[in-house]
Amino acid sequence: MRRAAIVLLCALVATAASVLLWSPTGYATQDREQISAPSSARHWIGTDDLGRDRSVRVAAALLLGLAGASAASALAATLAAIVGVSAAFAPKPLARALLYLCDLFLTLPWLFLLMTVRSALPLTLAPLQSAAVTFILLAVLGWPAYARVTCAGTLRIRNADWFLQARASGLHPGRVAIRHVMPHLRPLLVTQFLLCIPAFLVSEANLGTLALGISEPVPSWGAMLLSLEHASAFSGPAWVFLPIVLLIVVLLLLQLLVTEA
Amino acid sequence: MSALHGKHPASLLLFFAILAPARAAAPPTELAWSLKSDPRSLDPAKVDDQAAETVRFLTGGVLLRLNRHTLQIEPSLASSWNTSRDGLLVTFHLRPGLLFSDGSPLTSAAVAASVKHVLDPATGAPVAAQFLSPQAVTVETPDPLTVRIHLPRRVVSVGKLFDEIAIEPSGPTTEGRVTSGSFTIAEYRRGQFIRLERNPRYWKHDPSGAALPYLRTIRLDILPNRETDQLRFSRGQYQLIDGLSADDFRHLAQTNPSSVHDLGPSLNTEQIWFNQSVSAPLPAWEKAWFANRAFRVAVSQAIHRADLARIAYDGHATPAGGFISPSNRDWYDTHLRLPPEGTSVAQQTLTGAGFKRVGASLLDPQGHPVKFSILTNAGNRSREKMAMLIQQDLAALGMQVNLVTLDFPALIERLMHTQAYECALLGLSSVDPDPGSMMNIWLSSSPNHQWNPSEKTPATPWEAEIDQQMRLLGASPDDEVRKQAIDTVQQIVADQQPFIYLVYPNMLYAVSPQLTGVDMTLLQPGVVSNIDWIHWKGDSI
Repeated sequence: MRRAAIVLLCALVATAASVLLWSPTGYATQDREQISAPSSARHWIGTDDLGRDRSVRVAAALLLGLAGASAASALAATLAAIVGVSAAFAPKPLARALLYLCDLFLTLPWLFLLMTVRSALPLTLAPLQSAAVTFILLAVLGWPAYARVTCAGTLRIRNADWFLQARASGLHPGRVAIRHVMPHLRPLLVTQFLLCIPAFLVSEANLGTLALGISEPVPSWGAMLLSLEHASAFSGPAWVFLPIVLLIVVLLLLQLLVTEA
Repeated sequence: MSALHGKHPASLLLFFAILAPARAAAPPTELAWSLKSDPRSLDPAKVDDQAAETVRFLTGGVLLRLNRHTLQIEPSLASSWNTSRDGLLVTFHLRPGLLFSDGSPLTSAAVAASVKHVLDPATGAPVAAQFLSPQAVTVETPDPLTVRIHLPRRVVSVGKLFDEIAIEPSGPTTEGRVTSGSFTIAEYRRGQFIRLERNPRYWKHDPSGAALPYLRTIRLDILPNRETDQLRFSRGQYQLIDGLSADDFRHLAQTNPSSVHDLGPSLNTEQIWFNQSVSAPLPAWEKAWFANRAFRVAVSQAIHRADLARIAYDGHATPAGGFISPSNRDWYDTHLRLPPEGTSVAQQTLTGAGFKRVGASLLDPQGHPVKFSILTNAGNRSREKMAMLIQQDLAALGMQVNLVTLDFPALIERLMHTQAYECALLGLSSVDPDPGSMMNIWLSSSPNHQWNPSEKTPATPWEAEIDQQMRLLGASPDDEVRKQAIDTVQQIVADQQPFIYLVYPNMLYAVSPQLTGVDMTLLQPGVVSNIDWIHWKGDSI
């Protein structure tokens, strides 16, 4: 199942990349004579209400969403690993302070915070910069829960007999951490990394539906879902639902990767 | 056993419910539609938003009523009125036997108290400013049916002002609980709904002698989400939609074509403007662009307004050149000279002003790339679409435009207080066809002079000229002089483009086929302008 999920995800990414490469129009190009046009040879799955090619926008949103969520997840997992491992090996007061820091982040009203930070950003922020900021914010707010898990995992390793033997045989603590602790933590970190991707994808979509996500004209799942809020979407072509169908498929595939990991 | 006891009666009820013959749905008992927000105040003197305006129209009795169709002033609580030759004395004669909804008599004393309440600076009534010197106005009541108002200066179209002064019982405001208008407020739950009940002592009757209004109750739901509005209308929970969006219009036209109505261009405008405030926290070079007439004109020239009307409004809008809509026939200037539209002519304008194109970017004479953001309110799909279309139109000139949507409070904070914005896209609603009512927009000293609010002295000679012409418009009793003045202002605005007008959105309404007697107008409150005469189809009246 895991292999099938990986193959399917790769196929989706390859298809999206091909659409972007071969399409004669960009994701922001407005064909003003083809507003809400049905499927045609020029626009395979039609155009949106500004005449933009729907296939190009869905493909770009998929790639941007996956790339952004993966990068944010990698950043969150790295932060979690640094803080979690440090807390496990640090002297007690420092360890306690780091764990309090995690708790503080966990208790923050993250949605309110995201809204505040996004609305306080400079207005001249370019759309792609706004995408980067959105995912960085998600990473910065998403690491604490995983830091606690990492800390617990590291503590188990620290108390293991083989670890005590390694320390007793005079190995440098840094070397122990890199050569021995990290390989043991890898499954945990990979699982956390995979868990974060769908969470960040959904968070970006949620922010987008609040008009706080990635700015137009850069396509995003959030902005596309926002357009489905309107009842008139239901009287349009079925292709308008492609973004939500793809989002569900991608989330399911990512979930399969996690459960099989 | 107790579980079984609990289940049996429910099962029986369900069984009988299934067997029971289907009954025809009962007609609604109350007319329902929505307001987009809570009224800011229920004191009819303090009305300064659309929700409060609607409530005042439905509940407030007035001496004179502006006919929203003919734009003529008609007697209401006053059976007759006249102004002296010099315009300094206005005399009203009340109808005999008038009563408030609680049965107390409505006499000249109550009228005087209501007018004084409006003129009192402590009230802060927006209409007071239109009396020019409200504190110097005096009110006299020689007998219970006569009211004399002495004005220190002539006020043009003074009759219209009394359409905005609701007559309330003397003493503290009852906030619509005791009224002299068609309805009274029976229940108000903030954020949920306002329920109005018919005023049984309303003075008006139909030709057959039946008491007006015909409707017994009205429910005004507080519903910021326009989407829900349309869904509830489709389900029959609402009978009216006041101001449909173009998307909703298209959707309803497919499902229920007889319910939607397009009245043509409204008096409202949609426009963008650049922040020209000297105190704005913007780089000096950006302030220089925005203060540069050629820059503003080039932006205006590059915008394809026909596309905005066709795409953002689904054809339910008209490209705009000035601030007076073609529907406002008395004041519209058919000879207005507008800058020619087109990308190439815009490029020429920019080149003439020292801007140059380098690759895909436009650079100002000092070499700064031209990039700015357009701010608009989140949730208004037509505005968002217009902003995205403008983004592409200006990209053709090499300008990099970011689109930023903010919720309304955050937007107002930037526009009115911090001035931390570059360009804004918003609309302006006109409640009165007389452009004299736009004094607060055009006078350079006004806080609502959006591109550069509250100027101590006019920042430019053309703003000084606008001030002068607007004062002439406000003071002159001669209609020709007033028309000449507003034509001059329109031409200055077309030449200088402080507001870059985009479209006049059409006035779109939805009315349930269950109703009859609805007579829609362009002016607010539009769909319920003749609320007294609206009734359920088939009701005996």
